[in-house]
Amino acid sequence: MTPCLSDDALTRIHADLGSIVERAHLAGCPACTARSRRIRRDLELITAVLRDTPEPIARHAPARGSRRWLPAAVALSAVAAVLLVRVEVAVWRAATPPPSMPPQEVAAILSDVSASLFSLSGDPTPATTVVEESPLSLEAMARDVDGTLTGAEP
Amino acid sequence: MRGPDSAVRRNVESLPSPDLVVTAQYGRLRRLCRLLLGDAQEAEDVVQEVFLKAHEAAAVGRGPLDWGAWLTRVAVNACRDRRRAGGWMRLRLRSTHVEDVPLVADTPAPGDVAIGEDTRRRIWAAFRTLPRRQQEVFALRYIEERSTRDVAVTLGLSQGSVKRHLFRALRHLRHSLQDAR
Repeated sequence: MTPCLSDDALTRIHADLGSIVERAHLAGCPACTARSRRIRRDLELITAVLRDTPEPIARHAPARGSRRWLPAAVALSAVAAVLLVRVEVAVWRAATPPPSMPPQEVAAILSDVSASLFSLSGDPTPATTVVEESPLSLEAMARDVDGTLTGAEP
Repeated sequence: MRGPDSAVRRNVESLPSPDLVVTAQYGRLRRLCRLLLGDAQEAEDVVQEVFLKAHEAAAVGRGPLDWGAWLTRVAVNACRDRRRAGGWMRLRLRSTHVEDVPLVADTPAPGDVAIGEDTRRRIWAAFRTLPRRQQEVFALRYIEERSTRDVAVTLGLSQGSVKRHLFRALRHLRHSLQDAR
């Protein structure tokens, strides 16, 4: 006597795939016959549900196909957003010119602008900052020296 | 050359009238298409399309001897085409049309009491997770109660292949029931 059949073997018999040996065992084994009857009852139940009952409503549940690519779509969107920000920052940095004016000059201009804007009389108040005289160039110094030596006025 | 289409014959006189065919087959095809597509509206569209093809075939004298098998084959192919072409449509949220929402009864139907809501949901969910081919084979073999040979001819498969699909489908569906116990 062969050992009892597995559930898969019994299911194979129901799908008409069982071998002759398996069928012979099933015919002579009360235990396997009882399990086979249970499989038949399950099959009848499944068939009855699919044939006679309406499919349960899945409200606002995305279809299986759409759910499958959802994580990939979210990941791609995140990567695209990060790339966009990085490119934007790089372009902004490249397009912004470095400051060409010395800080003292900028401060003086801003001070003038501020004075013009907040002047009560309407006239711009004189700038409070004193612009230092620029140092003489070598040529001017040479002319001064020449004038001193010759007695001429500079 | 003889093939699956060899059943198509030019003998209009022996055919039942188109009205009789529609009356006899409409409900069955609608149920089959709904099972394969999972959408009542799409199933309705496919059935209309199938009967239009049947009407055209009958009009040119190419009506088949066995309308049932012919309509089943055309319906399964139309469902397959619809699924293939309808990837776009499946991106939308699945919703139910108002006319398809079952009326709420004060007392559950006897069948529902016997089966149980959880079991019903599990079986439907398990069926929907089956590969399309297994759904087709299971629907034709057990819901439509066609023979293995008929299923093989309808789907263009070998009988061995039909049996293997059937075995896998049955095993998967039974697992869903065992989980419920």
